[in-house]
Amino acid sequence: MGVAACNGVGVQDFWRANVEGRSGISLIDAFDTTDLASKVGGQVRGFVPTHYIPDDIAKRVDRFVHFGLACTEMALKESGLRPEAEDTDRVAVVMGSGLGGLMFHEEQMVAAFDRGAHRINPASVARISPNAVASQIAIRYGFRGPNMVISTACASGAHAIGEAFRKVQYGETDICLTGGVEAPLTQFNFGAYCALRVLSKNNANPTGASRPFDLGRDGFVMSEGGAVLILEERERALRRGAAVLAEISGYASNSGAHHMVMPESEGADAARVMAAALRDARLDRVDYINAHATSTRANDAAETKAIKAVFGAEARKIPVSSTKSMIGHAIGAAGAIEAVVCVKALQDQVVPPTINLNIPDPACDLDYVPRESRQIKLEHVMSNSFGFGNCNVALIFSKP
Amino acid sequence: MTTQEIDLKVRGILSKKLNVELDKIGGESRLAEDLGVDSFGAVELMFEIEEAFGLKIPDSDIEHVRSVKDIVGYLDGWLNRPAEALPPK
Repeated sequence: MGVAACNGVGVQDFWRANVEGRSGISLIDAFDTTDLASKVGGQVRGFVPTHYIPDDIAKRVDRFVHFGLACTEMALKESGLRPEAEDTDRVAVVMGSGLGGLMFHEEQMVAAFDRGAHRINPASVARISPNAVASQIAIRYGFRGPNMVISTACASGAHAIGEAFRKVQYGETDICLTGGVEAPLTQFNFGAYCALRVLSKNNANPTGASRPFDLGRDGFVMSEGGAVLILEERERALRRGAAVLAEISGYASNSGAHHMVMPESEGADAARVMAAALRDARLDRVDYINAHATSTRANDAAETKAIKAVFGAEARKIPVSSTKSMIGHAIGAAGAIEAVVCVKALQDQVVPPTINLNIPDPACDLDYVPRESRQIKLEHVMSNSFGFGNCNVALIFSKP
Repeated sequence: MTTQEIDLKVRGILSKKLNVELDKIGGESRLAEDLGVDSFGAVELMFEIEEAFGLKIPDSDIEHVRSVKDIVGYLDGWLNRPAEALPPK
């Protein structure tokens, strides 16, 4: 696995920060926030693309691709997978990105309007396309199997992992690199979410701005980052001598068919997708839920209802926590970063906390593992991702 | 701008873009054969040169550019053209 998040780059640093409950949220300085009501975000400050990829490639791609290439490099290193030793026709890349190459896009839009359309950089098409991330990974390592990017807003990364899982499960490919990336901290994009009034305005307390399930929550905190995981059929991975970190045992996706930005208030669609993932895994309960838990009023209450609808009386006994309390919401990367959390939780038998949860919202009455991580026996864990447009995904990870 | 200055600036752009040392790029260096510039790379390169020199090179002229010398010659011809060749204001 490879990961780049605002509270840690690389699996080790990232996971330690999560277990210790460290926030990566700060006042944004990536662009001018003067005119914006929200000024907090999750910038990945310690990230230097050229630590992972050559300078000439780094110069030619957008920041969202930097995250993808860097996380791929980390994941390959950790897994011991050598591209040159594989039948690369059987190696697929399925990535998620909600927004694509926004940074370069905005820069070029400004150039076009300021200076005329003939001043548009000819590299724009190649840099902006959302599928650039999967293509650039394939180009760099020669992976010639199926190659695609799934774009379902905040569920993109989870969707990518689910579909990659099916490709391996159905034998369409031997190995699938998968995950999600996003670089959404740009003037226009951030302003657009601001206009939608979904972002936290807790500028006075950046590390406390993302507070899922807390009574004082006032919206989500947007962040950037990425994660890449390598999926491979178990026996094949063992023959190769790879360390099997976790098994994906269930996946489901659906649509709420309800609204472009509002979740269905009773959480019925979220409940359906969780139940379907449980059926896929042939399970009736899990030991931990890594919730979507964005810190918006609507999501956290609806997700709580959904968890109660699915697990009934058991719901209060299942620890539920929010990675977004520490790193904010990395849109298309969120589901993939949270998958890394689930895998590490299974490995270390630790549930990371929901930080900033001081006064629980009465509408949110489950065990959210407030403030402190918890050592607990974990066999099966669930990760929820719900995208704008009601694109819902539930994944279940199990101990190998 | 003198021909030498144009030559240095062009080779500087090429050197940075292609990660090739400046003294490895001669006037006779051919873009495709010697410097490995593919057709997409050539489009990008011409854009950067247009940006650096503040002019727009018509597609019909780009087709004739094969080597570093061709680029420098073209820019020299345009930047140092006689006054009567300037388009009427």
